[in-house]
Amino acid sequence: MEVKVISPVDKVLVQIKGRVDTTNAAQFQEDLTFIMQGDMKDIELDCSELEYTSSQGLRVFLMLQKAVQSRGGKMVLTNMQTQVKEVFDITGFSNIIKIL
Amino acid sequence: MKKRYDPISGKSGAIIEDVMATPEVANLPFELNMRIRLCVEEVVENVVNYAYDSGSGYMAVETCLCAGVWQIRFEDAGVPFNPLDKDDPDITLSAEDRPIGGLGIFLCKQMMDHVEYHYEDGCNVLIMEKKIENFV
Repeated sequence: MEVKVISPVDKVLVQIKGRVDTTNAAQFQEDLTFIMQGDMKDIELDCSELEYTSSQGLRVFLMLQKAVQSRGGKMVLTNMQTQVKEVFDITGFSNIIKIL
Repeated sequence: MKKRYDPISGKSGAIIEDVMATPEVANLPFELNMRIRLCVEEVVENVVNYAYDSGSGYMAVETCLCAGVWQIRFEDAGVPFNPLDKDDPDITLSAEDRPIGGLGIFLCKQMMDHVEYHYEDGCNVLIMEKKIENFV
């Protein structure tokens, strides 16, 4: 799993690569703490190279959504692969997190 | 595959990778392979983290492919716990009302064709099945 911050200023763009699973979910959360604790309101997570997320990764995505939403910001997940989108669809996350 | 992990503490990754390395799973199409990985991870994590009150116990994992159906059987001697008894999460709630967590077994139930639990001879037994005849 790799998290790469492309633009940390006005619009935050983050690329997520690989698999988010039980072995690295804590690191994934830590890598994205700056979004949860910051005041940025325009967040894009590029998921084009995210191959897999288990429920451990979903926890982090929901925590992010709650944090960004609570400060009136917007978060969007883009270019999601089919098998990852399926997990978001099954859990209803597709209805509460914007996916483009 | 038939393997016993004792103790299971710290072995989540190894258990998952052992299952994923079996030929009947490794050769599946990527998306189906990922579904199986997810379901195996969710069950293994539950057992490793919650089955044993103190210290660490064992987990036995057995897989087989029969008549186009892939089956995996997990066994542990931890606290009796039927994960299928738990209510499904309400997936219609808004983000602010959604609790964090509680999705693992729900995902297994949705992604597998069959999931069953038994408490047998002092052991928790969880069996999952997935039809893969069209993919092998």
